[in-house]
Amino acid sequence: MKQQEEKFAQLVREHKSTIYTVCYMFSHDEDEVNDLFQETLINMWKGIDSFREESKISTWIYRVALNTCLLQERKKKREVKKVPLTMDVNFFEDNDANSTQVRMLHQRIGKLGLVDRALVMMWLEGMSYDEIGAVMGLTPKNVGVKLFRIKEQMKKM
Amino acid sequence: MEEMNFEEMRNQFAILKDQLNKQEIISDHLLRETMKAKKSAINSTKRMEYICVAICLVLYPLLGFDNTISLAFIIATCLMVIVSAVATHYIHKPVDDLNFMRDDFTTVARVMAKFKKQYNQWLYYVTPALIIPWLCWVCYEFAWKNAPEGVNPWFMTSALIVGVIIGGAIGLYYHFKAVNAAQDIMNQIEENE
Repeated sequence: MKQQEEKFAQLVREHKSTIYTVCYMFSHDEDEVNDLFQETLINMWKGIDSFREESKISTWIYRVALNTCLLQERKKKREVKKVPLTMDVNFFEDNDANSTQVRMLHQRIGKLGLVDRALVMMWLEGMSYDEIGAVMGLTPKNVGVKLFRIKEQMKKM
Repeated sequence: MEEMNFEEMRNQFAILKDQLNKQEIISDHLLRETMKAKKSAINSTKRMEYICVAICLVLYPLLGFDNTISLAFIIATCLMVIVSAVATHYIHKPVDDLNFMRDDFTTVARVMAKFKKQYNQWLYYVTPALIIPWLCWVCYEFAWKNAPEGVNPWFMTSALIVGVIIGGAIGLYYHFKAVNAAQDIMNQIEENE
């Protein structure tokens, strides 16, 4: 059990920025980010045994994080006791140049719908259409078409 | 112009990832919960010691009824275990008084360091000072003074020494369980700083 916990902690350390990024893009304030972050970790811990290594671990993590964020409204109804687990950064309130840049990105992506937001995030992450498709349950061609439309939509914003 | 926007977004995303990669996940509460669990390892050592003391305090006076062992030995043994129990209580008290969910980490680390030091001092100095004379005395009482007829006293002595070694091994296991738990708490606090 301890070995499994250590392996999980290592996994979280390696992918924390990905998980946090997804949560950040789907949140409106710092508390919500932290709640989603914790909820994602809980879901990852619950599901780690079912991960069959058929896909890349990063793909699986993205899928868990996105599912958690997309289902946040439903989850909100069932208040779960959580362990405060967060990172010492607040892009919502910090006023340095980097945080301002990050906030601009948050605002741009925030204008998109939930699914489009997820697609853009993965595209920005540098994931291939195959990988994005694996997370979203879409064909690579479909991913390409959707991303093209999103980009067109963003140009008009 | 549009491509510039997407390029800018990529740069902003890179900034976000870079900022997050520099961060450590903070979990004050998780650390405190772990410390609480470690405290139970420390307490199990204390409970074990109290159980041993209670057994000795019941068993040795009973042995005195058939006059096989001297009253002085019984009193000395009972006094020894009472002293051990009092010392255990004294060493453990600051740990018992700690509130792992509330006290600051500096206090916790200080108490743990003191606990570990006192526990080790007890093992390396007081235990041999008490156990070696007591072991000689117990061999004299059981193997030499009251050896059953036809039984070689050296054989009895060997059996007693084996018993003491087994008891000592159990005692050392519990000792290091407590000391390692204290050390783990100190390490976790240090890592968190």
